[in-house]
Amino acid sequence: MIGLHEVGHRHEGKLRTPAGHPVPKGEPILELHSLRKNYGAVEALKPATITFLSGEVHAIVGENGAGKSTLIKLLTGVITRTSGEILWCGEPVQLASPNEAISRGINAVHQEVVLCPHLSVAANMFLGDEMNRRGLMRKRAMTDAAQGVLDDLGFNLPAGAVLGSLTIGQQQLVATARAAMRGTQFLIFDEPTAYLTRQESEQLFRLIRRLQSEGVTIVYISHRLEEVFELADRVSVLRDGTHVGTRAIGETNEAELIALMINRTIEQIYHKEHFTAGETLIETRGLSGPGFADVSLTVRAGEIVGLYGLIGAGRSEFALGLYGRHRLSAGEVFWQGRKVEIDSERRAMELGIALAPESRRDQGLCLNLPIGLNINLPVFRRLTRGLTINRAEEAANADRQIRDLKIKTPSRRVLASAMSGGNQQKIVIGKWLSHGAKLFIFDEPTVGVDVGTKAEIYRLFSRLLEKGAGIILISSYLPEVYELSDRLHVFRQGRVVGSHGYRTASHEDVLAQAIGA
Amino acid sequence: MSVETVESSAGPTPRKGISILFGLTLLGLLLFLWLLLGFATNSFWTPNNISNLLRQGAMTAILAVGQTFVIITAGIDLSVGAVVGFTSVIVAWLLAAGVPLWLALIATLAIGVLIGAFHAFAIVRMGLPPFIITLATLTSLRGIGLLITNGSTISITNEAFTNFSRADFLGVPSLFWMVIVVAVPAYIFLHLSRFGRYLFAVGSNSEAARLSGVNVNRTIYLAYILSSTCAAFVGLLLASRIGIGNATQAEGWELQAIASSVIGGTSLFGAVGSVHGPLLGAFILATINNGANLMNVNSFWQRVITGLLIIVIVYFDQLRRRGER
Repeated sequence: MIGLHEVGHRHEGKLRTPAGHPVPKGEPILELHSLRKNYGAVEALKPATITFLSGEVHAIVGENGAGKSTLIKLLTGVITRTSGEILWCGEPVQLASPNEAISRGINAVHQEVVLCPHLSVAANMFLGDEMNRRGLMRKRAMTDAAQGVLDDLGFNLPAGAVLGSLTIGQQQLVATARAAMRGTQFLIFDEPTAYLTRQESEQLFRLIRRLQSEGVTIVYISHRLEEVFELADRVSVLRDGTHVGTRAIGETNEAELIALMINRTIEQIYHKEHFTAGETLIETRGLSGPGFADVSLTVRAGEIVGLYGLIGAGRSEFALGLYGRHRLSAGEVFWQGRKVEIDSERRAMELGIALAPESRRDQGLCLNLPIGLNINLPVFRRLTRGLTINRAEEAANADRQIRDLKIKTPSRRVLASAMSGGNQQKIVIGKWLSHGAKLFIFDEPTVGVDVGTKAEIYRLFSRLLEKGAGIILISSYLPEVYELSDRLHVFRQGRVVGSHGYRTASHEDVLAQAIGA
Repeated sequence: MSVETVESSAGPTPRKGISILFGLTLLGLLLFLWLLLGFATNSFWTPNNISNLLRQGAMTAILAVGQTFVIITAGIDLSVGAVVGFTSVIVAWLLAAGVPLWLALIATLAIGVLIGAFHAFAIVRMGLPPFIITLATLTSLRGIGLLITNGSTISITNEAFTNFSRADFLGVPSLFWMVIVVAVPAYIFLHLSRFGRYLFAVGSNSEAARLSGVNVNRTIYLAYILSSTCAAFVGLLLASRIGIGNATQAEGWELQAIASSVIGGTSLFGAVGSVHGPLLGAFILATINNGANLMNVNSFWQRVITGLLIIVIVYFDQLRRRGER
């Protein structure tokens, strides 16, 4: 068995290892005193005083826009504070640059993987820190060492593979392994399980516990409270840029945390209203295409059809095939009883199908364009009068969606990239509300979205159903699809391997079908 | 680049305000240059020189507008200089063969459309990067032009055609009027029509645009056809101005066009740009060349100054964008 830090430091002496740990377990390692960050007039983080104890797993929870990202950026040196003080091992530090943070042993694993997809797994793990002999890279040695670390962690990933060929979840594990072998004393996880399957999450949790046992302090940011209760020793809650409290995990419960986060109690996050199913909207018979085969299912007006499976099980591919993005190889599609050929996205839209795709960043939004343009993108044809766009209608449509969906922005002219995950998801949804579709396909609509926004999205589902729409809900988060779906189809390796009614199967059965156990 | 997108995300940026402000800054720079040259030389503010300046800037300005459409889609069109030279040969050749003027003009513009369509075809269907395909046509078109003329030039004897570039209308050179003829529809297209919005969307995230029902391929065809057609139009103006068709003319104009566009605030990463920016950029470059000539600055220095100017202006633009967040 190869120790994590041994591998990382056989060739690299300048980073400190937890072996030479200056702070005993349980003593403060990082203290924030009245830390504050302003962006112009906007107070992104109001004076916050938080103490992180050496060797603890400290969870940070809060809604989108609560200031979690700001806090991470401050700790990793990406941005600098407006005022306040940071003590590292009892001494005041600047944390003015990412390099300073890294050299002190503060690292972060981000929600979106920030690595080089064209390089190998090993090359990524050693990026910026390559082993070399007289200026030449020791590729074989690095691959072997990386493989050793991955095997040791039980990740079952090939070190020689090109990173981009792995799933997003696997890439996340590589990023974690990379941070773990760099002599980190203080490791921040930002929504690490957002794209992970259950097994991958389990692997990650094992790694986190192991790092903790080696003396590393962990900051764990997540929307999933059950993970917080599984992993954390203490939890801090942020709301609207304010630190509203820190609790030992044994002295709090889910209800209290939610109340702190959103300043109101929600009895039921999974808000499910049942409507009488109406006409059949869409029916597929033996539909096959790239990544899925022989899928037959029906969606009626007023119902949610859930598609559950692990990432890569073919659900998103099925959705893209149905939406005309990918060419179908076999099978038939009936729309309101009539056989149709959906050969383009445009055709799907004309029929009344809307798709909120899996990745907001890659498929959902034009991030460096204004919110208004994003919302109006599907409907510019309708907004055109003669040669030009009717500017008043364009503005009115965008403002209406921003108001109806409560998108938190001062103006429709703000760039989509400036929005938090939940608000970005609302922009994607807003596009399709203004288009006016009959069948909504939501692919992982609540990934990276906070509890409050989740509840809003679920209420929105009910509103859509009430108006006679049908919904296909794709999710890797079992409680979500399980509680919301009128019918639930389980995908594995591109095929439907099980179908259930509302709450007719147990969680365990559904999971077993998805995993193939 | 994705990292940059994330970084620039921190603060709200009301876009429209900035664009106007930046336009005003550029306009200020242009007026400042004019004032400066007015003091520094006796000959700058003469009707003759101003006409000359407007003529000089006009052709780059039209190329820059076409180029901007392509750059907004996150592409690049390196062929525009070659298209100018090539189409000057085509129109001269057609006129020498006795083709009526109106037909020669239309045929030449149609060649521009075809070249642009070919670029888009290569990008969309063959999957070639825009840089590569337009670099390939850059060299090929000059080659074909030289083959047609056998390396020499074709003189144009049609006086109606050659007089056009020297004519004035309402005291303003007709070449400058052509800028307006191009810029007004271009403004309506880019800023007021849905196709303009689609150009920005494709340049920002073509997959998101596709999934929102935007015909991405058609949008790319549109951008490259407009760029090449603008270049063919400039080819006509150049042929009219110098009275010959020669495939080696307009050497390096693609870089002038790209520089004008970038000075005018267009982002080479796509999804940022305007019509008025490149126009101002083109006339700033023309003013610097004109002023340098008047002040007897070595023409080699003009190239150095142009390069420095690009660095300074784009650097300040970057600073301003960063300052906004």
